[in-house]
Amino acid sequence: MKLLHFTTRNFLISSLVILLLTGILLYFVIRTLVEKEMIEQLDLQADMIADELKEGRTIKYPLVDIQELQPGSNVRMRETGDSLIYDHVGKDYEDYKYLRVVKQAGTSSYRITVMLTYIGWNKYYQVIFTLLGGAGIVLVFAGVLFNYRLSRKLWAPFFFNLKQLKSYSLSRPEKVHFEDSAITEFSEMKISLVELTERSRREYLALREFTENASHEIQTPLGIVQSKLDRISQMQIDEEMAIYIVQAKAAVERLRKVNKGLLLLAKLENNAYADKEALELGTLVSQLFDQMEELFLSRGIKVTLYPLNVVITANRFLMEMLLSNLFANALHHTPQNGHFEVQAEATFLRFTNSGPALTFPAEQLFDRFKKGNQHSQSTGLGLSIVQQICFLNGWRITYQYETGRHIFTIHF
Amino acid sequence: MKLLLVEDEIDLLDEMDAYFSEQGHLCERAIDFVQAEDKLALYSYDVVILDITLPGGSGLQLLEILKNKSAEAGVLILSARDSLKDRLTGLDLGADDYLTKPFFMEELNARINAIQRRKSFSGSALIKAGDLEINTQAKEVYCHGEKIALTKKEYELLLYFIINKKRVVSKESIAIHLWGDNYDLAASYDIIYTHTMNLRKKISKNTGEDYIETVYGMGYKWIKK
Repeated sequence: MKLLHFTTRNFLISSLVILLLTGILLYFVIRTLVEKEMIEQLDLQADMIADELKEGRTIKYPLVDIQELQPGSNVRMRETGDSLIYDHVGKDYEDYKYLRVVKQAGTSSYRITVMLTYIGWNKYYQVIFTLLGGAGIVLVFAGVLFNYRLSRKLWAPFFFNLKQLKSYSLSRPEKVHFEDSAITEFSEMKISLVELTERSRREYLALREFTENASHEIQTPLGIVQSKLDRISQMQIDEEMAIYIVQAKAAVERLRKVNKGLLLLAKLENNAYADKEALELGTLVSQLFDQMEELFLSRGIKVTLYPLNVVITANRFLMEMLLSNLFANALHHTPQNGHFEVQAEATFLRFTNSGPALTFPAEQLFDRFKKGNQHSQSTGLGLSIVQQICFLNGWRITYQYETGRHIFTIHF
Repeated sequence: MKLLLVEDEIDLLDEMDAYFSEQGHLCERAIDFVQAEDKLALYSYDVVILDITLPGGSGLQLLEILKNKSAEAGVLILSARDSLKDRLTGLDLGADDYLTKPFFMEELNARINAIQRRKSFSGSALIKAGDLEINTQAKEVYCHGEKIALTKKEYELLLYFIINKKRVVSKESIAIHLWGDNYDLAASYDIIYTHTMNLRKKISKNTGEDYIETVYGMGYKWIKK
């Protein structure tokens, strides 16, 4: 739920609850007050009637009823209640409040009943509630609107900074700009964000520098070892020595490849290849395949390249890297006389090759240094690189094994 | 060919010096920025091999100095940094090629020869080796005026052997030269074998001699002068 919606919703609910409670309270308070006032008036009327009775006058007033009580009769001294009386003018029953008291006038007791109309109190209540409700609704919506607008303005720097953070990438050279705010908390947050991004940037640059240095430090000695082994192999040597030299060379070669792969992965993680262009997938695939067609043919692998009329936006170098790693993977793992195919549509690119099932769980397939055969000469980095490149481009790569075929699908 | 080798790693420099001298080139060495700057100011070279990271400055700066001198020298950048940015900067500044460490001497040699061929006039695009005559522009091979039909890969292989003559050329280096670096090299050794055998057959059929020797386990060697 969005922050603005959340605060607005809570404001709305609490306002409505308060208004409702106020209304109910108001109803009871007014009702009590009015009733008290009416009873007082009725009491006064009854007193005045009793006074007149004492003076011996005959009482004949509308809505007044006087009964002389027989001595010894047992009635309540005082009672109040509500009654309905038909009003033939208004042609309707109307609510009346009555008071029934027993008064002494001379020697006899009288039971006096006086009545007073509520004078359409129901109407008043209705009016009160309509007005109150109307005012309440206007108040609530005005409040909500005001609150929403105010919050929007208040939180504007926050939202701006959030957007900046979302699009922020360490590898971009330009500095990120954060909006300042008059609110202390926001301005503190801005300062923290600026510090945080600065610090991460420094650390990132240090890391990149480290990667480069590591590259230099490892590659140069490797180059020396390689060239010295080459030098030795130019000399007169016997077969036994030759075997050792070949083995040493193979190990150096492997080390070189691992180092290269790891450096590439480090660079990918640092998003060092940010520039993208529109690439024709078909051209790219056939170019790369031309280069290594022989390698497939020599193993008797039947290759099917379906026509690919797909244009994607990606970094050229990374796309070539991704494709050549998938080709290399297929070449390495397709058995003699197997088959291999590449197909693509606007939403996916699929590499399929025949071969026996994996000897390890498929979830580990994209892990670094994961190899079918741990003694194999491959680096075990190829598919990690593929996965990392997919991740960088926001693509998803899936693997399935169906009827003796390994299927790698990249969903664009 | 007169070469200037700019490299701060003495072991590597020795190796390059020895290798190119064996191949009959004249080598001069510079182990830091200042030495290289002096040599570039005083003499002219056919090809300069330039390391990027040097004590005292960057190889890219040297490249600028060289290009400002309007020298005709070809430049090959040698770097431990396999960085696309460096590569593009280098090529933009006028370098002819870019090679990442570690590398095979044979590959370096092949690249330098390619630069040399591109720089010189068409006359020197002809390479002679024994009875063979290779026109590197038309990519055609002749023996006593008669054309030998070679596939593209066989031609590349032949050129690689000739340029690295009298030297054991390893299978790894051939694989990288022919197919690039992204594949499992072992997968290509059989094909290299097939191509080499075909090449040998075609050459000996035309010249009556076997110009290539197999060196057990290691690779192949061009033995004909």
